[in-house]
Amino acid sequence: MLATVLYEDGDHRWIMFTRDPGKPDAINNTNHYLVQSGTEAILLDPGSIEMFAPMLSSVLKYVPADNITRMFASRQSPDISSSLGLWDQALPNASLFAPSLWEGFLKHFGMTNIHYKPIPDEGMTMTLGHTQLQFIPAHYLPSPANFHVWDAKAGILMSGDVGTAPEEPGSSHWVDSLDRHIPKMKKYHQRWMPSDAARQDWIRRAKAMDAKILAPQHGRLFKGPQVNEFLNWFEQLPVGVAVHS
Amino acid sequence: MAVPIFITAASVSAELHQAMTEARGLALTAKNARAVAVRAGSKTVGFRAITDFIEELASAIIAQSRVINHHAEKLSNQAVVAWQAENAITFFREVEREKPEHLASIQPRIRECDQNLASLDHELQIGLRDLIGQIDESNKHIRTANLIATSSHVEAATAGDFREQLEVIADNIRKTADRIASHLHRANSLLSQNHRERKIAC
Ligand SMILES: [Fe+2]
Repeated sequence: MLATVLYEDGDHRWIMFTRDPGKPDAINNTNHYLVQSGTEAILLDPGSIEMFAPMLSSVLKYVPADNITRMFASRQSPDISSSLGLWDQALPNASLFAPSLWEGFLKHFGMTNIHYKPIPDEGMTMTLGHTQLQFIPAHYLPSPANFHVWDAKAGILMSGDVGTAPEEPGSSHWVDSLDRHIPKMKKYHQRWMPSDAARQDWIRRAKAMDAKILAPQHGRLFKGPQVNEFLNWFEQLPVGVAVHS
Repeated sequence: MAVPIFITAASVSAELHQAMTEARGLALTAKNARAVAVRAGSKTVGFRAITDFIEELASAIIAQSRVINHHAEKLSNQAVVAWQAENAITFFREVEREKPEHLASIQPRIRECDQNLASLDHELQIGLRDLIGQIDESNKHIRTANLIATSSHVEAATAGDFREQLEVIADNIRKTADRIASHLHRANSLLSQNHRERKIAC
């Protein structure tokens, strides 16, 4: 998998893993993130069964297995969580932070070792090494119990499916022009995001964060002024459109 | 590629379930036979005694099938756990080939998974062997059922007006016994095949 360091300050790092060259064409491309601080690391949205072996290899290039003490699943989607039964074999002492609403569902992946730490609806703050990560509520974007990860120190907001777009192999990791990127994102956001109220509430909170990087689960990342440009565009987009089809 | 044990065990369980249903039919046949024998009176004393045997045999087959079914289901569950471990190990091998910098940090865990799988596999082998033994036991019941069917024909021959009805019942016993036997046979060959394949694979 391609690994890109998004942020580095001493032993505090964000690494993105994406675009596995061995990935079958039929499955969508996914971005996965590893956050490190001190001797601890958390894997954000570990991915599917298909991605397990390349993910484990990639992660072990950066940190020893014992340091990966936590995992985070933003929601229940198979491209995020179907590998959990395998991570359970690889990291039996790890904790999984995931929505409390999905606990009874995610455990169907066969997690006999990993400790499930339910994130309450209102979100929570977690200390990782010398830094703190916040699990920010993003319910109905698109899953009924859904969280994003905010690292105030690094200024990175991991935004799950918000900001998602399909991307051709070999393209840049970064959005170069929002106008060119909008056609790729539009249909997805209109169809998948079901609730105007949820979207407006999230935008209000996201704008207040003043993130430097918005890091979605698929496609390119937004940097600098493009973060706000994206939020402004998303703010006015009609969502939940399948109701009228 | 060998059929996964959890599929074999689930298929065995399904065969045994059908054997159990047939055995319930056999119990019903016994009840009919008893009713006919009562109406036929003194001419069918021998047949009446046989009906008791059939009833006992039917409930023995039902009980035995239930036990085998339970074991097969348990084996199927264990096999799923083993399959999950095996699956993880396949992926771990890929990671080992990649030789990432911190590979050593995961190797103790990989060894644990290997050992775990080896002991799960051993348990599965024992489970398979036990199941084959239990099905062998059930086959003894089928041999008894065939003997009873033969005796029933003999008794029917002397039952006068009731001869035809009793012959139908005797035929029924044989046919049901045959059907149960074929379910057991299929279960047995599924198990033996899997047992053989796993021996070769190990
Ligand atoms: Fe997604």
